[in-house]
Amino acid sequence: MHNQGEMGFRGQAFFMPVLLISAEHLTLADKVRLVNWGLVVLIVALGGIGIGLLYSAGGESWRPWAGPQGVRFLVGLVGMLALALVDVRIWLRLAYPLYGVMMGMLVLVEVMGHIGMGAQRWIDLGVFVIQPSELMKITLVLALARYFHGLEDEEIGRLSRLVPPVLMVLAPVGLVLLQPNLGTSLLLILTSAALFWGAGVRVWVFLVALGLGLVSLPVAWHHLHDYQKARLMTFVNPEADPLGAGYNILQSKIALGSGGLFGRGFGQGTQSQLQFLPEKHTDFIFVVLAEEWGLVGAVALLLLYAGLLAYGFAIALSCRNLFGRLAALGLTATFFLYVLANVGMVSGLLPVVGIPLPLVSYGGTAMMTLLLGCGLLLGISIHRDVRISRTGISTS
Amino acid sequence: MRGLRPFPRRSSRLPFPFLTPRDVGAPGAETSVRAVPDSLEHSLALAQQRLAVPIVGFLLLFLVVVGRLGILMGSGPFSEAAVAPTVSSSDAPYLAPVASRADIVDRRGEVIATSLPLFSLCVDSPKVLEPSTLAAHLRPVLPDLDPVRVTEAAKSGKRCALVRRRLTPRQAYEVNSLGIVGLEIVPDEARSYPAGPLAAHVVGYTDTDNRGIAGIEREFDSSLSHSSQPLVLSLDLRVQALTHQALADTITTFHALGGASVVMDLATGEILALVSLPDFDPQNRENAPPEALFNRATLGVYEMGSTFKVITTAMALDSGLVKPRDTFDTLSPLWVGSKQIRDFHPATHRLNVAEIMMESSNIGAALMADRVGGARQRAFFEALDLDKPVLLETPERGRPLMPSAKDWRESTVLTTAFGHGIAVSAVRLATAVGTLVRDGEPVHPTLLKRATSSGAGSAERDEPRLVSPRVSAQVRAMMRLVVRSGTARKADVPGYLVAGKTGTADKVEGHEYTKDARLSSFIGVFPAPKPRYLVIVLVDEPKGTMETHGQATGGWTAAQTVGSIIEHMGPLVGLSPQTPEESARADAVLLGSLGPGVVPAEASVSSREGR
Repeated sequence: MHNQGEMGFRGQAFFMPVLLISAEHLTLADKVRLVNWGLVVLIVALGGIGIGLLYSAGGESWRPWAGPQGVRFLVGLVGMLALALVDVRIWLRLAYPLYGVMMGMLVLVEVMGHIGMGAQRWIDLGVFVIQPSELMKITLVLALARYFHGLEDEEIGRLSRLVPPVLMVLAPVGLVLLQPNLGTSLLLILTSAALFWGAGVRVWVFLVALGLGLVSLPVAWHHLHDYQKARLMTFVNPEADPLGAGYNILQSKIALGSGGLFGRGFGQGTQSQLQFLPEKHTDFIFVVLAEEWGLVGAVALLLLYAGLLAYGFAIALSCRNLFGRLAALGLTATFFLYVLANVGMVSGLLPVVGIPLPLVSYGGTAMMTLLLGCGLLLGISIHRDVRISRTGISTS
Repeated sequence: MRGLRPFPRRSSRLPFPFLTPRDVGAPGAETSVRAVPDSLEHSLALAQQRLAVPIVGFLLLFLVVVGRLGILMGSGPFSEAAVAPTVSSSDAPYLAPVASRADIVDRRGEVIATSLPLFSLCVDSPKVLEPSTLAAHLRPVLPDLDPVRVTEAAKSGKRCALVRRRLTPRQAYEVNSLGIVGLEIVPDEARSYPAGPLAAHVVGYTDTDNRGIAGIEREFDSSLSHSSQPLVLSLDLRVQALTHQALADTITTFHALGGASVVMDLATGEILALVSLPDFDPQNRENAPPEALFNRATLGVYEMGSTFKVITTAMALDSGLVKPRDTFDTLSPLWVGSKQIRDFHPATHRLNVAEIMMESSNIGAALMADRVGGARQRAFFEALDLDKPVLLETPERGRPLMPSAKDWRESTVLTTAFGHGIAVSAVRLATAVGTLVRDGEPVHPTLLKRATSSGAGSAERDEPRLVSPRVSAQVRAMMRLVVRSGTARKADVPGYLVAGKTGTADKVEGHEYTKDARLSSFIGVFPAPKPRYLVIVLVDEPKGTMETHGQATGGWTAAQTVGSIIEHMGPLVGLSPQTPEESARADAVLLGSLGPGVVPAEASVSSREGR
């Protein structure tokens, strides 16, 4: 018999379904039973809140945002569940090829992507438009997890072994910076840092990298675009230019203040209803929530996100293969950074960078990316007891 | 070989599809492939331990965000939701108008800002029977409505789709008379500014929801929206108007970029006039260029130049290290590193303190500051609050640019003595100079009318004097000399005993001072024996004219503006000019405080009256 006794429970989170099935022989029915339905419920709740807010922001109407978002969410949800059933070892094998394809696409947008909002970010495939920098967030996580999975324990301390993964990070970061998309490049770097950390890269390496980063700040400032500098300056003092660059953030703060403790009620936000707030359906949708549902609603949404992160970490902790554990960490970090960047921006803690609120903001690619990530996370959860050797061969 | 393959190529040689139990999960599969090495277990364990850091880190960051939201939203005006008129009222077709936001008036009760009760028109679209003809029906009553927008609103499905704000009562009546089901009239309110741009920078403006977003409207937003009592400002609209006019004339004459002026009652700290040009009409600020929305009097901080010599002189005299009769070597330029400090009017002899003020000698001011020393100089600046934004009831307050204590070098000592290397707002400088000429009693500026006409000054607060009355008198005497026979003769108004100081600061362009762009200023107080009012005027980048022989210094531009303001405001504030004999007597007493041999012969009272 296959050694079921080796099913490890170390780090098994309490809300994980425990089924004594051999990890290597999961039938489709087993997999469906192993799906982490709690996580799915959280995801559906977040998507539902998003659709509700878009309904309100659209003037209590399914057009122009809530309807299409709902359709996309349902499609994405089905896709997510399908992805969850794919064996984690297949992702392991596909990690590098997928990374390569995304790099190719990033180069492609650089060459022929069509211009929108001052930045080249899209590839128009005719049927739908994809934003490679978004998908890169996932593929980079997979590729790095794949790399560190294959690295021997003692090699992690060798600097030479860190060159390939650092290049794997810097290549897409450079291309994304060229677009130019400062927010996404920072997100890629921070997610990668979390992965490097989880993989056991030595602490001093992080300290040196941080030091180098700080030293190069003045140089980076010099190379920023004027609009990026303006955003940063506006962040420092939005009141200095209340009608120009500081407008969005000031209106956003006004809306937050007007929400108060319990909000103005569904469909009643003056800031969000009366067109004061640009981008209210995308990057600033949190403001609509805060104005209409108040601090209580805002904190409730954040708690849902916190729950999702808790699931992410629990999956990482309970996973019995390094690839899955690292990928789960990376995906969770990506998700968290989205939330932090968006809410931090809206509340004036961070500069304005175009980062949507995960699963809630209107927009296709970002939602697809996140649902894809959630699908992977669910997959890792289902296959958490699959053991994989350094070389990618499963052992049981 | 193990351990040296970060990119394990073997994986490509695995049986495919490698997932089937037959291939990898079958009994004995372990023998064909390598067993899980200890290294892998170790990596797994390490990754698990290390997860603690991101978990804790993320949790902390989450708490920061929640805390920030709590501050922003918890402190927000809860009650506003209850107070603000709700636009989506579908129950009553007609509501009585309510004007809720309080008026803002000047000290004499003249209205500066008021609220007009108006109406908004919205469409309760489910009730509309024929959405396509709605626009045509509305056209005779509201011809300027966009028909496309009306049709869109009628088909939107919303309960209250806003089509038009700010309907007059007559328009609202006419719309109601149409008798079309689904057209709803709801109360609205518009802010009106009868004085137009006159006090724009003081009063500020509101957004379309009547929330204050600048000036007094913003500073007192919550009390204005919750009170029915008018808010009484310290401004006197008559003084405001004549100040506005005088400054606008100066800007036109000298083709300047802009300017600022503040008139302050030194007895109470009340600001009677505050003008910043260019300005805007608070009612139509959408069309205003950004520079017109910038308050140069309170928000803009500038290197003020020679007007700072009033501060330096008071500091030097109060330290006891400098006497009015002391002379300084103002004959040769002073070197600070590779830069030279020079005088605009090169001296022909060693100047005493009064002459340094009259001739506006940079070298002299720098030497005085040098004698007092950097530590005492900085302490004096701090005592005058020159390092802090002025405490004033406006959100647009500029933070002064003053070097930190550790950057207070020898060059700082010398240049700040004549107002370079330190930048403050006009109100900040006015407050400091007001304090120095009022026997050192701190002046507390305000934009609100004080409850009593005099008592709210510093005497009640029992604050320490910043300079002695004797030094204050000497400073006033020197400022009087500047106007009588120094650089600011154009500021003199017979009978009002104006005392003051000019300033002409080269502006910084990039990293260099430029000779072509300057900030000319004058700060004047009157009557000199016991100053009651202060007038400061800044002119941004004036150009010389034929009449001024191409000159655009403070003495030629701002001094004349201040003179004009004082001449016109004197009678309005109840000060009648003194006769020449009274003036001469007062001058003689004042200049006497400097002691013998200080006032240059040609500037003395007797010689002047003889001419």
